[in-house]
Amino acid sequence: MMHPEAGTVAEAQASYRPAELAGAREAVLAARQADTNVLVRGSGSKLRWGARPAGERPWSVIDTRALNRLIHHEPGDMTATVQAGMPLHELQEQLAVAGQELAVDPPRAARGATVGGVYVANDAGPRRLAYGGIRDLVIGTTVVLADGTVGRSGGTVIKNVAGYDLNRLWCGSLGTLALVVEMTVRLHPRPEASRTVLIPASAGDATAFVLDVLASPVECALLEWSAPAPTQPQDPLIMNTNRPHRSISVHDQRGQAGGGGWLLVGLEGRAAGLDARVDQLVDVARRHDLAAEPADGEDGLWDAWREAHAGTAGDDGAEGEAEGETVARAATLPSQLADVAGGLHRAADASGVEARLHSHAGLGLHDAIITGADPAAHAATVTAWREHVCALGGSVVVRDRPDGLDGLVDPWGEPRSAQLVKLSRSVKRALDPEGRFAPGRFLGGL
Amino acid sequence: MVKSELQRDLLDILGADGLVTEWAQRRTYEADGLAAYRSVPALVALPSSADDVAAVMRACVRHGVPVVPRGAGTGLSAGALPHPEGVLIVMSRMHRILDIDPVNQRIVVEPGVTNAAISRAVSEHDLYYAPDPSSQIVCSIGGNLAENSGGAHCLKYGFTTHHVLGCELVLPDGETVELGSSTLDPPGYDLRGVLVGSEGTLGVVTKITLRLLRRPEAVRTLVADFESPAAAGVAVSAIVAAGIVPAAVEMMDNLAIQACEEDAAAGFDVSSGAALIVELDGPAAECDAAFAETVALCQESGSTAIRVADDPQERALVWKGRKAAFAAMGRLAPDYFVQDGVIPRTRLGECLARIAEMAAEADLRVANVFHAGDGNLHPLVLYDSANPGEGERAESLSARIAELCVEFGGSLSGEHGIGVDKACSMPTMFGADDLAVMDRVRAAFDPAGRCNPDKVLPTPRLCGEKPGPYRPHPLEAAGVIERL
Ligand SMILES: Cc1cc2nc3c(=O)[nH]c(=O)nc-3n(C[C@H](O)[C@H](O)[C@H](O)COP(=O)(O)OP(=O)(O)OC[C@H]3O[C@@H](n4cnc5c(N)ncnc54)[C@H](O)[C@@H]3O)c2cc1C
Repeated sequence: MMHPEAGTVAEAQASYRPAELAGAREAVLAARQADTNVLVRGSGSKLRWGARPAGERPWSVIDTRALNRLIHHEPGDMTATVQAGMPLHELQEQLAVAGQELAVDPPRAARGATVGGVYVANDAGPRRLAYGGIRDLVIGTTVVLADGTVGRSGGTVIKNVAGYDLNRLWCGSLGTLALVVEMTVRLHPRPEASRTVLIPASAGDATAFVLDVLASPVECALLEWSAPAPTQPQDPLIMNTNRPHRSISVHDQRGQAGGGGWLLVGLEGRAAGLDARVDQLVDVARRHDLAAEPADGEDGLWDAWREAHAGTAGDDGAEGEAEGETVARAATLPSQLADVAGGLHRAADASGVEARLHSHAGLGLHDAIITGADPAAHAATVTAWREHVCALGGSVVVRDRPDGLDGLVDPWGEPRSAQLVKLSRSVKRALDPEGRFAPGRFLGGL
Repeated sequence: MVKSELQRDLLDILGADGLVTEWAQRRTYEADGLAAYRSVPALVALPSSADDVAAVMRACVRHGVPVVPRGAGTGLSAGALPHPEGVLIVMSRMHRILDIDPVNQRIVVEPGVTNAAISRAVSEHDLYYAPDPSSQIVCSIGGNLAENSGGAHCLKYGFTTHHVLGCELVLPDGETVELGSSTLDPPGYDLRGVLVGSEGTLGVVTKITLRLLRRPEAVRTLVADFESPAAAGVAVSAIVAAGIVPAAVEMMDNLAIQACEEDAAAGFDVSSGAALIVELDGPAAECDAAFAETVALCQESGSTAIRVADDPQERALVWKGRKAAFAAMGRLAPDYFVQDGVIPRTRLGECLARIAEMAAEADLRVANVFHAGDGNLHPLVLYDSANPGEGERAESLSARIAELCVEFGGSLSGEHGIGVDKACSMPTMFGADDLAVMDRVRAAFDPAGRCNPDKVLPTPRLCGEKPGPYRPHPLEAAGVIERL
């Protein structure tokens, strides 16, 4: 069974694969000339995010994957300008030559997730704790609006307040406002060294520990909590990246001490001083009666924990396991981790589904992977969990999901206010007055 | 008459002590920190609550009158320049701290709270608010949000936009909307991100939720002297290339050092060609290691003397000297223009040489104080307004320096904003279409164009009919990137 958005791609009346800005503009104009709506896609790993696009017009697809060049890298200034369809992992390989990186680590990079796709979906990984999200790292953009207007904002220097910061507007807009063609990004030096510590901890213990770590001088690069611990990724594409994955299933057993939950704490920085920082971290754990174990030899551990946030789905039109899986993202305050986890498990038990929780605990971002039973049960779980999380002042957004879920639960949830929808609509109309870019995909039916 | 009716309406909302009507009193608000631009507002409103602001806004809509928000009035681009027929909404009475959540490291404040008061309010929890503009003792957090203000320590910790999680905004039509949230990534477009740095043109901010940081375990500071700013620039590049991310890297040239020394006696060597202040912070063990490396890199880059300012008092003195730099210019010349431009850090030496040439041609002195880590220059053009024509020469030199930064591939402004001052220079950095897209976003918030009109984006009224010359970005000129 095809997901509706994958269907849109398959049924598209025209498909464009521009390789330059001029071609990207021509594609947008041609789609308009043919009176079609436009779905922009990169590798396709997040095509399911947002609501199902809807609209009277037939569809054109603009595929960004030929926009795949690193245009300019200025190592001395730690900036780079890149075309939006470049796979993130290819960009990282090129930057690594100069010992630099774009400090984002979203899931699915190994499967070809593009820099622009990560940006437009505002996707992120565990290291966001240390470096901020991609919205904090994009300092300039060139976009094409639905009427063919090419707009540039920001620039090529890190510090810059000239004009509106539209770079932030495109981030997370899921292709509903403009086609992002080029991005200038801020880079970081690749960390000299890193350390990893695994700690079995229940959600309650983990919450107290996380808050204490945040209040301590230990600066963490990542601070994750998962129940159960992510095991070796099953996906063959991941296996193909030639990274050996040592099985960590043994942790599942040890994790019983923590009710099946595990903390993964990563430190990065200069080699000198890292030992002392690990000691400080272990001290905090000891104060909480938690057993911290170094896990530095475990290659692929960070990879497994990162990929777990995306569930097993991800590929365009993927069949099999991913079909029955719902991935929902909650955002709360870091102090609410245990409450979020408790709410999920009550909701899952009530609906008879399995639910795993992978949490960027230091950031208050939590991904639930719901499997088993049928879409109605998934929908009931999401609805109950969402009610709980919203009562805490947070939000729940559904990302990947089985086809049957649409119509049973709104992937966005209730907008926080009518004023917000009104203002968002007026921004959408100002930039895309004919409503061509993925109409219906965004919050508020935009 | 419209004004008297509006005045009656505002009086009902704000009471007599919340509305300034007398000309002499209104005049005290005629300029912000850039006093070259002056205009007396028709009325000055002093709201005490978000409801007041919304009611004032609605009254202005009814009477078709423009509004201009104002914080503490320290802005340096005439962003808070009043409109002669409009209402100036001054946020100084809205200075309450509404909520502190030390556990989640967040604070909710009204916009009139000063930047420094925020860090003071949370210091007992070992937390602080990171962006630290030199004006932090007086400038308001609402003004910081509107300008996306920076400070010396933004190199490592980011600018205002990285620390504003959410806010409440009274839109130009008088409706109130919450943007962002106390959590990360609330569903919807990141309109909070658009609002930060919009210079009061999208509405009036009435409440702000901020992220706080834990005080670093260790702080190490040094002052390294160099023969010239270009030599100091080499050291900066070496530090960055070594993978060290200092909390702050600030530079002063000889003229600036002289002024600071006279003003603050902070112990800078007045014979030095350039002083580089480098501050590292973070976990103690890491900080110490990186500090030793930094000292070595400064020496290898030709530093003539290095002073380590490790005790807190000495460190405070160094920063007092640096932060007094603008004020201290009064010691060197009766008048000066502060410029604010950004260049790619790697082109520092080249750019300073050009500025020196331009200064010599104009027969004026230029002192340089800057955030060297991120290439944010603050050339101070000194002049004496008593000498006929000197003011004009200085102004023109200052404007050309900003445009020079754009030519070098940088920006017209790193932190002081565009306001009125640079609106007509925007076409040197952005093409007409780029500006049109920004204008479309502005109109989505403010279709009637009533909020802080004639700021940020060039208008025919402000700049004449002819748009300024757009010069292609250097990468564009070189054919590396393309406009179309
Ligand atoms: C000596 C000195 C040193 C300085 N150093 C620095 C520095 O290191 N870094 C730096 O970035 N800046 C610096 N500045 C500039 C200035 O202090 C900042 O721009 C500051 O953020 C302005 O705050 P304010 O409260 O004075 O705002 P104002 O000057 O009153 O207003 C600035 C802008 O914000 C808008 N605004 C104010 N409040 C609101 C609100 N509630 N809602 C919507 N819009 C609003 C106004 O309309 C205006 O456009 C310095 C200024 C001086 C005089």
